[in-house]
Amino acid sequence: MNLGGDHTAALTRRESLRRIGAGFGSLGLAGAMADPALFASTKEIGKQAVSPLAPKAPHFAPKAKHVIQLFMPGGPSQVDTFDHKPDIAKHAGKRPSLVNRKSLRNTKNGLMVSPFGFKRYGECGKMVSDIFPHVGRLVDDLCFIHSCHTDIPEHAGAILMMTLGALQPNRPSMGSWLTYGLGSENQDLPGFVAMSPRAQPRGKLANWGSSFLPGAHAGTYVNIASMKPENVMRNLSNPHLPRLEQRNQANLLSRLNKMHLDRLEKDNHLEAGIEAMELAFRMQFAVPDVFDISKESKETRDLYGNSEYAKGCLIARRLVERGVRSVQLSHSIDGYDIAWDTGHGDIKGGHARLAKACDQGIAALIQDLKRRGLLDETLVVWGGEFGRAPTSEGKKGRDHDHYGFTMFMAGGGVKPGFSYGATDNFGLTAVENRVHVHDLHATILHLMGLDHEKLTYRYSGRDYRLTDVHGKVIHDIIA
Amino acid sequence: MKNPARKIIGGICVLAVSMTSPRIEAEEPTAEQLTFFEEKIRPVLAEHCYKCHSSRSKKLKAELYLDSREGLLKGGETGPVVVAGKPEESLLIRAVVYLDNELEMPPNKKLPDRVIADLQEWIRMGVPWPREEPSARKEEKLGDRDWKKLRMENWAFRPMKKPAAPEVKNKQLVNNPIDNFILAKLESKGLKPLGKAAPRLLLRRVYLNLTGLPPTPSQVDEFLADKRPDALDHLVNSLLESPHYGERWARHWLDTARYSDGLGGFGDNGPLPGAWRYRDWVVDSFNRDLPYDQFVRQQVAGDLINEPLAFYGTGFFAIGPNYKSDGGDPEAKAQAEAETLADRIDTFSRAFLGLTVQCARCHDHKFDPIPQKDYYSIAGVFRNSKTHKRPAASPEIAKRFNDHQNAIKETEKNIKEWNDRNKADGENKPEEAELKKLQDKLQELKKTIPAKPAGEVHVLGENGNKDMHVAIRGDLRKKGEVAPRQFLTIMTDGSGPVFKEGSGRKELADSIFEAGKPLASRVMVNRIWQYHFGHGLVRTPSNFGKLGETPSHPGLLDWLAASFEESGWSIKQLHRLILASATYQRSSRFNQENFDKDGDNRLLWRMSPRRMEIEVWRDSLLAVTDELDRKIGGKPTDKIFDVKRRTLYTTISRNGDRFASDAFLRLFDFPSPASTAPKRAISTVPQQYLFMLNSPFMIARAKALGARLQSEEKDDPARIARAYNLLYGRPPTKEETEIGLTFLAEKGGKIPRFQQYAQVLLSAHEFIQVR
Repeated sequence: MNLGGDHTAALTRRESLRRIGAGFGSLGLAGAMADPALFASTKEIGKQAVSPLAPKAPHFAPKAKHVIQLFMPGGPSQVDTFDHKPDIAKHAGKRPSLVNRKSLRNTKNGLMVSPFGFKRYGECGKMVSDIFPHVGRLVDDLCFIHSCHTDIPEHAGAILMMTLGALQPNRPSMGSWLTYGLGSENQDLPGFVAMSPRAQPRGKLANWGSSFLPGAHAGTYVNIASMKPENVMRNLSNPHLPRLEQRNQANLLSRLNKMHLDRLEKDNHLEAGIEAMELAFRMQFAVPDVFDISKESKETRDLYGNSEYAKGCLIARRLVERGVRSVQLSHSIDGYDIAWDTGHGDIKGGHARLAKACDQGIAALIQDLKRRGLLDETLVVWGGEFGRAPTSEGKKGRDHDHYGFTMFMAGGGVKPGFSYGATDNFGLTAVENRVHVHDLHATILHLMGLDHEKLTYRYSGRDYRLTDVHGKVIHDIIA
Repeated sequence: MKNPARKIIGGICVLAVSMTSPRIEAEEPTAEQLTFFEEKIRPVLAEHCYKCHSSRSKKLKAELYLDSREGLLKGGETGPVVVAGKPEESLLIRAVVYLDNELEMPPNKKLPDRVIADLQEWIRMGVPWPREEPSARKEEKLGDRDWKKLRMENWAFRPMKKPAAPEVKNKQLVNNPIDNFILAKLESKGLKPLGKAAPRLLLRRVYLNLTGLPPTPSQVDEFLADKRPDALDHLVNSLLESPHYGERWARHWLDTARYSDGLGGFGDNGPLPGAWRYRDWVVDSFNRDLPYDQFVRQQVAGDLINEPLAFYGTGFFAIGPNYKSDGGDPEAKAQAEAETLADRIDTFSRAFLGLTVQCARCHDHKFDPIPQKDYYSIAGVFRNSKTHKRPAASPEIAKRFNDHQNAIKETEKNIKEWNDRNKADGENKPEEAELKKLQDKLQELKKTIPAKPAGEVHVLGENGNKDMHVAIRGDLRKKGEVAPRQFLTIMTDGSGPVFKEGSGRKELADSIFEAGKPLASRVMVNRIWQYHFGHGLVRTPSNFGKLGETPSHPGLLDWLAASFEESGWSIKQLHRLILASATYQRSSRFNQENFDKDGDNRLLWRMSPRRMEIEVWRDSLLAVTDELDRKIGGKPTDKIFDVKRRTLYTTISRNGDRFASDAFLRLFDFPSPASTAPKRAISTVPQQYLFMLNSPFMIARAKALGARLQSEEKDDPARIARAYNLLYGRPPTKEETEIGLTFLAEKGGKIPRFQQYAQVLLSAHEFIQVR
């Protein structure tokens, strides 16, 4: 029995041999010994083979190219951080009708004065709590939104609302939508990286999952506390073969795959596969490099400080610098998945420690991006899934508040030194220029050059969006 | 006005209008009142409300018109917004004072207190409004439509007839009527179908297709030596009898069933330790060719069908997510319940009927004739069914086991009695033959002990018989009209019977093959077709609605569906039919001329080459290295890289993110089991190649293949030949042998050269591709 027409006919062709000889075999080997940038060029065969993360044109000219989400799970209290409300002191212990609203635990307590002092900062004269001195000094670069609100006062649902625009973990995350819409600018690294020190935010992988979007858009999670290359990406190195030997092996695989492709004459998937293998080879070296912060100068490392969160901030800068589209950096201390929730029992102790663990790193990130000219094209977004009520829970704590909370942004086309929206006199409810989380998402996509109503994916019989059927762009905060 | 929830509210209002106009009801407004309205109220409404709530709104929100008195009194989705004379009962006031987080109007900024006071005063006056024309608005409701006519508008809803196979010119290219349908279209478009695939490729295709495992070299030789004209039919029959057939095809169905072992993580339920029993039930159902109608009935209502173990089938729903809320917030709790119900309705309607009923959760379906009420008619069935655990065995099986155990004890007792009598002094010594008989009986009994009934299975059970209300905007706490439990309106011409027994699940199951039959049968034959050809005749296998694609060969789809029913819903018979066609047996070669006309191969001028699904790839890797453990059924394992069982037996977490096994499967496009998966994506990403180049799993397979080849053949050329036969079902060419020998002759690497070579062969595209 012979092989049948398909095999023999194609195999005798001189053409195929010639192409192999001039293709990977030689180039790949040469590349292995030189700079990784010289590794096998795949252009001549990869024209139709488009990687799912290849850069894609936005809907319109973008203000920003990258997003860094500094996520604060657990709910930081707005009136103890950036939403200064002197009226609380005037009515301390009382429960005016404005704040007489149901919270999760339905506490009946009165207004509680913030245990922290506030100072005026910058030219814009923003009042910032004493627990954020580093961030305070940068207020002229920040754009505060005081009128955020969300659907429910429970962590899991509200966290998912913030990270993926839905209350259940069955939708793609914002970072996945971004790489789906825009691809990424560095093909040797994942397009979306999620990080946190030790504990993952509640809901875990759903927060950076791709759900029904293709798997290539799922965020790659990295635990800052145990950052080893094998934790960054699976199967990143071969235990037995040094670089050159592996290049030989990869060359053989490429050659056999090319011969197979020639027999078939045309197959886009297989062409993409040949290119993907070369990318895989390069990733083995690019990925460990980006997470190695020992390559930064001492001055830079000192700027960020020593906390684990600060380390994440520095890596976030290294990632966007290399073209990674989206970074989600969640805060956590003590291995707690909703760190800021320590506010229930004790605002003073809990919030002070949490702020201390991230304040310097956040400020350093913004300064560092700015001095490298990256802040203009990088949108930094700070905030939790909701805020905390100005009334007290127990004696020293505060319960969840989804009626109103504060977030801030920096860079990426937003107005610097600007504050938008307002809560009532006591900081409970957003009353002016209200911004739902869907509106935030719409605005972030807009800044990235995407129309949130047009960025859709057909699944389960209908088109899905990050903003579901909601969301409006807040044009007033765009510079 | 699209929301059927409005029907009752609307209906009452319409009635009021026709009997006594609200203008007569209210006292005639005074001039002062009208001035107050024009100066203080109308400008406020116009400025803050009309963008979203008037006949001039570009996009009307909440079905609410605030530009007429009727509109205010009638209200929107959440009911009337003003009660004349009673500001404290008026929703409008609640909204503007921001009392309810859900309802804060206007949404951007709270109105000044002075304006709110004016609004209250105006309502207290009785809502004075000058005489003017009522605003024009759309009044069409799905509920009023002509269902019979509507039903004929979409091909998928129409009743089925078995069409005659069309005539073709090239009769010699026809094996069976399938080819008539395909060829007729190719001929009419001027495309020339390719010839029959080379026997080796065809053989590999059939093996992988039916069992998910590649043929061994001796199976290849056997087939090539079989010169009977119907050799392939014989092969197909024998593969359909293999228990591995059920494993392979169960996995297709498990995609549809969004099968997982639970572990959805926060907001979902914990592990489902008995989920695998449903999986094994599916494998068994395919293997014994359980007729498809029964297969479906048992999955919807197996607990209500008098057949042992039929209740296992309801695992189909029971293994779905059960969302819960994080605290006690009532809004979050209602939302979680609504989401769980949505899973049931979505899976039910897409899997069995190819309809996206889930789109009617918050409003009437925007594209298909599915009123929101239909959603809650079916949701009612599931809300009256509980998800619970049940002993894995039926009472009959438990009884059989217990009776058997008792028989053993009884026989042992008899033997003891015999011995006692034998030992006893006296004349009446028992006969030896009697003992022999007892001993034989005991031995036989011990050999035939039936399976011990142990463990639990996740199933549905009955739990009430109450109709649900339509949930306004999908919010279970906002009740609209009652939605009696019944089948889809469009398939019953608007006059289907209301379910009467318990939850109504049994009647729902029956409806699928009565009113729903045209959909149910077309959907399933299309799925089977898809798994044989890579694409369905309808390329949106779980959406036969308006947003789905229309069939490329509608006649063939109906012919297959009708044949399916005629065969008594035999899936194996459908396989035989499809695999016997010349269309299936076609070569997968490229052809530029055809490609230019039909690059997507919709007309099936060739067999589309495909990449193996991840399960097939991993199983094949273990098969060619001779490591595969072929045991059927049992508990799952997440040790996918160590355990050598088929990939079907891997633990799968709901969100596909919990185990190393999840990450591995997802890397190669295993679908997320969060909802029913109609077909798989094929992505090509570098991480797949990192897996091939570096993973301990691939390195271990290469080592095993190397060892196998070293032990089976004496020299490198023979080993290379053996490898090609094992992996690709063909001998290597001279050139391929030389390339291999050159690589083996070189030095380098800490591991044997042959192992490095074996890893390349296992990673090659030719291995993972099915042609």
